Amino acid sequence: MTIKRLVAFSILLATALHFSFANAGEGAFGWIYTLDLQPKGKLEFEQRLQLNKQQAAGTYDAWTARTELEYGLTNDLQIAGYINSYYTSASQNYTNPEACGDSPSCTGGYGVPSSHDPATPYRKSGIEGGSLEAIYRLTNPVTSPVGVGLYLEPTIGRNKNEIEARLLLQSNFIDDRLILAGNVVVANERLKFIENGNVPESMLDFLVGASYRFAPKWSAGVEARFHNDYSELNLRNQVQRATFVGPNMHYAAKDWWVTGAWRYQLKGGTCMGGGEAECSNARVWDSHSVNEFIVKVGFPLN
Amino acid sequence: MNWKPNPLFIIGLTIATAPIVAQAKIYVSLEQAQKILIPNKSLVKNPIIITEDLQDKMRSASSIRHPFQGERIWRAADGSWFIVDEVVGKHEMITYAVALNPSGAVIGIEILEYVESYGYEVAEANWRKQFVGKTATDPIKLNQDIQNIGGATLSCKHLTDGVKRVAVLYDIALKNQTFSLKAK
Repeated sequence: MTIKRLVAFSILLATALHFSFANAGEGAFGWIYTLDLQPKGKLEFEQRLQLNKQQAAGTYDAWTARTELEYGLTNDLQIAGYINSYYTSASQNYTNPEACGDSPSCTGGYGVPSSHDPATPYRKSGIEGGSLEAIYRLTNPVTSPVGVGLYLEPTIGRNKNEIEARLLLQSNFIDDRLILAGNVVVANERLKFIENGNVPESMLDFLVGASYRFAPKWSAGVEARFHNDYSELNLRNQVQRATFVGPNMHYAAKDWWVTGAWRYQLKGGTCMGGGEAECSNARVWDSHSVNEFIVKVGFPLN
Repeated sequence: MNWKPNPLFIIGLTIATAPIVAQAKIYVSLEQAQKILIPNKSLVKNPIIITEDLQDKMRSASSIRHPFQGERIWRAADGSWFIVDEVVGKHEMITYAVALNPSGAVIGIEILEYVESYGYEVAEANWRKQFVGKTATDPIKLNQDIQNIGGATLSCKHLTDGVKRVAVLYDIALKNQTFSLKAK
């Protein structure tokens, strides 16, 4: 199966690099971007693996792998390129009558084409596409009370095209061991796997978190996501609202680092404005799940 | 939760994340640092008790939260001081030594142990020599009287703050000790 090969290859590559290269730059959070950028001329390999698991019923496993190279153009400007891969396995994961009609459950969700028979399981994997990324640090949280940065990420993919912008905020405390960070995320998307392959969406997310280095090399913390989805571009016509929260753990040595995080979708999520079919059991689905896991490994290459 | 991950994934992840023993890079040993900074003088260990009040004063002057340990202090017969301290680095502690002349001005600093991914430039002589001659009355503040090194900002900041607190330690505690020793 492609996903097994993908995982095996990622781990093999990561393991090989682990023993080959020296030094590190890193992300202490699972999903929140910080202002710890690559210094000028430094290149880092990063591998991310995310699993979105469990929706209203049945099974829903959406794996996303992102293989990345980051490079410091200057000490305050970092660029990156990604190759994105996916594996989606969904079966009878929706229960909302608007989506399932007379059946108690049906197969649906992000990545499941509208042409797919909702009575049967859906499985597909492959290369999703690629992304570019640029982060510009306006102020450094190590030397300023509040670090501020701007982030832009265009993505072209099989399932969607997207342009995502973020405002990155970070403050450090206790000898820079305690990091408070927040991201304001705005994205415009064109979904390709449903209807005519050109369905606009937009998103506004607020990510907040804390990470504390409780021992040399080890940090742990929490992070939360306040998610808002819109059925049109430019944040018009809201269709979803959901909250996720969970812990993160980060280990960083001189030669490499790894971060693991889990976030759990709290009950109380709502759908509105024509998006009701995506909701049930007081949670929102679409590309979301009850549990989201992420593992990231980084190895500086020079 | 009913997560059944691929065994291959678990094995691979275990291998990939197994901690490797990072070799601490020793720049100069304690003895070498003593000879470099205070040559041809014998040093006598002179530990002092860091009271809470002294710790608070050093913290407010330097903004360093990590406590100062008073065991690694040496004194030369002429009143020079050799002090070893550690500050928080990006992943681990950075150990460094500061030498002060009898009037509390910095003679020089040496990096003893540095285990970070990058930022090794703080060990370069050009950056370290910025501290020479500084006393507690100087700002000893990054981007003021001490220049930053891009890509090594955190190490530069913590070492700068560290030297500041050592200078303040002299001013508050060691200077008086010198005086009382002389007065005896």
